[in-house]
Amino acid sequence: MILLAIDTSGAYASVAVFDGAAVLGEVTWHARRRHDDHLFPAIERLLVLVGAELGDVRRVAVATGPGSFTGLRVGIAAAQGIVRASGVALVGVPTCDVVAYPFASSGRRVCVLIDAGRGEHYAAMYRTRRGVWGRTSDIRTVAIDDLVREVVRDTIFAGDVTPAMAQALRERLGRRAIVPSPSALVRRAGHLAEVGWARAEAGESVEPDALEPVYIRPPTIRGPAGEIVAPAGPEPASAVRRTS
Amino acid sequence: MRILSVETSCDETGVAIVEDGRRIVSNVVASQTAHERTGGIVPEVAAREHLRQLDPIASEALRRANTRLDDVDAIAATVGPGLIGALLVGANYARGLAFAARKRFVGVNHLEGHVYANWLYQGAEAPPEPDLPAVVLVVSGAHSDLVLMEDHRRFRLLGRTIDDAAGEAYDKVARLLGLGFPGGPLIERAAREGDPRAFTLPKADLAGRYDVSFSGLKTAVLRLVRDLEKKGAVPAPDLAASFQRTINEMLAERVARAAAEFDVRAVMLGGGVAANLALREEITRRVSLPLRVPPPKLCIDNGAMIGAAAFFSLRYRSEDIPTLVRSGLALAH
Ligand SMILES: [Zn+2]
Repeated sequence: MILLAIDTSGAYASVAVFDGAAVLGEVTWHARRRHDDHLFPAIERLLVLVGAELGDVRRVAVATGPGSFTGLRVGIAAAQGIVRASGVALVGVPTCDVVAYPFASSGRRVCVLIDAGRGEHYAAMYRTRRGVWGRTSDIRTVAIDDLVREVVRDTIFAGDVTPAMAQALRERLGRRAIVPSPSALVRRAGHLAEVGWARAEAGESVEPDALEPVYIRPPTIRGPAGEIVAPAGPEPASAVRRTS
Repeated sequence: MRILSVETSCDETGVAIVEDGRRIVSNVVASQTAHERTGGIVPEVAAREHLRQLDPIASEALRRANTRLDDVDAIAATVGPGLIGALLVGANYARGLAFAARKRFVGVNHLEGHVYANWLYQGAEAPPEPDLPAVVLVVSGAHSDLVLMEDHRRFRLLGRTIDDAAGEAYDKVARLLGLGFPGGPLIERAAREGDPRAFTLPKADLAGRYDVSFSGLKTAVLRLVRDLEKKGAVPAPDLAASFQRTINEMLAERVARAAAEFDVRAVMLGGGVAANLALREEITRRVSLPLRVPPPKLCIDNGAMIGAAAFFSLRYRSEDIPTLVRSGLALAH
């Protein structure tokens, strides 16, 4: 039995397989804005690489965001299709949880930053409290300048931290800012696979139609002249008309 | 051969099961109504709705067809043209189905879908297939393509809009007249109460080519509405009828000219605007060839037309089947 993990929610696309003990294989690439072009070929190749059959895949984990709206939908739609056809277990894992996870054993606070465009980031804080690792804040949209004012202790900054941002964080926070090297910041589906496996074991599987993307931001609606007229509030409820 | 097919290129989420490219076994469509409030399609809203609707709709299409995924022979999805974020939802869901069910994935050009909607039927009795070669007019909120269909999957683009699509012009004029969104059916309804000869509106003349342009027409309606507002009430039904007559004459004139020049055996329509009854009448008045128009629910975007096109893709020129999503995919050059 293996778990297939799919993450297309950020600049990297990554797929991995995990057997409950080890990450058997992982394919990670910088996808820019074209996640889907290589997604299924990468999954097929990965199964070949690790010598697994499609029928061995009994669990699917997918990163649900936040991140690129379009990118995260690619992964979720692909996972829904795979699970609808195969009937295997499906777990959705918020992308922040995946990014924070490799630093869980550091003993430090972790601030996850995910590029939200327009000079902003989605941010979420993690640490171990009473022996339990987990998120200690909402996932919210922040400007880095505002965020650094809240950082009072040594904090690992994980996720979409560019070298320029790393330098800025160090200048503002001194040794309180701990920024892993670029290779340690690569988004890897191996981490997602491990988290997803644990959640599947904990009974957190969902039906494909119950998988909820984590958008954080409502859609931007522009008027006829390109001006932004919304978001004005929370995302409207689903509205469709069945025509046949 | 049974194909499960997915359509999510714009604001309709559709999944169908089609047999041998012609018989509709099931065809479930959800039309997004969220865009009525914004008076136009917001791509991000459309993509979110597709993701929310698609899996339940696929399950329902299978249930209504009393079919299991194991029993379908291929899985198809629209890969373009359309809204990129919307296309990616349907195509990746369908590829996921195909991958896990070990079926062939067939990427379909949305415009070929509108053409092949003319091959679909429901029920036990198969009507005859359209004759080829044919001139095909695909008119919708996104397209106004006049195409010569020489044979199956052999298309030659004769002309297209150089600015707005016909459906877009309908939407914009409907907004000007305060009729709402989407404009096509609302203008058609208002036009029934109006005089199509009440106003003379300009028809762009593109030097005998087959291209069309609707921006001058739209601007003329705008000016007329502003003038009429100053004088008092705007006779929306008369304006709607005159606008509809003008647009239909422009389209029908090109269809008739192409049918004569290329000596075709049939004329076909496709796309949401093809549901406009006055357009059919205008074409019938000018062309004596058989005119094929899908029923209204197959003129709007739907999964069944993608299933039909997918079948003919596999049968003809199967070496030329796209799999990657490309928002600007063309029907022909
Ligand atoms: Zn269409």
